[in-house]
Amino acid sequence: MDGKFKVGQPVRVKASYPPGHRRTPFYIRGKRGEIERICGAFPNPEELAYGFDGEPKRVLYRVRFPQKHVWPDYRGPERDLIEMEIYEHWLEPA
Amino acid sequence: MSRAMQELLEEKGVITAEQVRARMEQYDHDFPYRGARVIAHAWVDASFKEKLIRDGKAACAEFGLDIEADKLIAVENTPQVHNVVVCTLCSCYPRALLGMPPTWYKSENYRRRVVREPRAVLKEFGTLIPDEVTVRVHDSNADMRYVVVPMRPAGTEGWSEEQLAAIITRDALVGVTVPKPVLRGA
Amino acid sequence: MSHDHKLPSDMGGEEGGAIDTADHGMKFWEKQANALRNTLTRGKVLRLDELRRAAEDLGSRYYELEYFQRTTEALRTVLLEKNFFSEEELKAKMAEVRRRYE
Repeated sequence: MDGKFKVGQPVRVKASYPPGHRRTPFYIRGKRGEIERICGAFPNPEELAYGFDGEPKRVLYRVRFPQKHVWPDYRGPERDLIEMEIYEHWLEPA
Repeated sequence: MSRAMQELLEEKGVITAEQVRARMEQYDHDFPYRGARVIAHAWVDASFKEKLIRDGKAACAEFGLDIEADKLIAVENTPQVHNVVVCTLCSCYPRALLGMPPTWYKSENYRRRVVREPRAVLKEFGTLIPDEVTVRVHDSNADMRYVVVPMRPAGTEGWSEEQLAAIITRDALVGVTVPKPVLRGA
Repeated sequence: MSHDHKLPSDMGGEEGGAIDTADHGMKFWEKQANALRNTLTRGKVLRLDELRRAAEDLGSRYYELEYFQRTTEALRTVLLEKNFFSEEELKAKMAEVRRRYE
């Protein structure tokens, strides 16, 4: 399925804090990374959690972040990375 | 309470005791042994390893295993990169490939700390990664499941897949340790 | 910007202590609870997403309960929501199970 973002594209996770079931951890909100791969399209877990069918499916990406972008006090080398899955509606172009 | 819930659901015809028993058996006797066999096979068969990295679920299916998750992402350790997996939000884990997650994987301190100070956490497991090697943390936070493909240690040349599987520990497949080329027993 | 909504489960990056690196395995009831959960999700009786949400909504109890106690509480919440049984039926069955093992 084609999504809005391409592999390698710089993206930012929305700095948004809605209540309820989200699969976007607090620590990554507002952070800048790049698309590592497109995982496919899946029913939206934020809807599934409340008994709805989660349709239409949403595109899921893996996003790669340098650790130094995520933690101001990161103590490891600059090359260290953290990667996770972020749904398209949580991303904006960076 | 879970015993009571199970009995009520059986009485109402939602599930059977046999279904629950069969799953318990699989978790005890089947799932925990699969991961090491898959990785041992990847170590001896380069084209299988490449398939595993490209599409973990399909490669496992080819190997005769249904990993039950939507997708499996196999991340490969190299001399330049060391991978480690966590689920900070709960305890997502490739259960049908590795069995139940260890208590430390589900613990609050692992979930809190490994994303922010992975090298310090790895050290607590006795694993020291030099600064020249990238540590890549994977937070398994949505629908993907992860398995680490460790590097095959030197000193295992000519070993059978069974011998190789015996040194591939569950902890190495999560990425907190690396396999050691030590055969126990005869 | 409010961080009031940070759920107890959303703990990545928080301060934490030493990790108990031993695997303490599972007690029999935990294996049974796990198998029950898995049978229900595989049978599409309920979704893992619903169970996660129910666990997240435990509030301060999240940290008071152990892992499989949370699983069991979440199962209870979702099964009640979906009307598979009532609170009264569950209480009665729990009393019956207790009597059996005493």
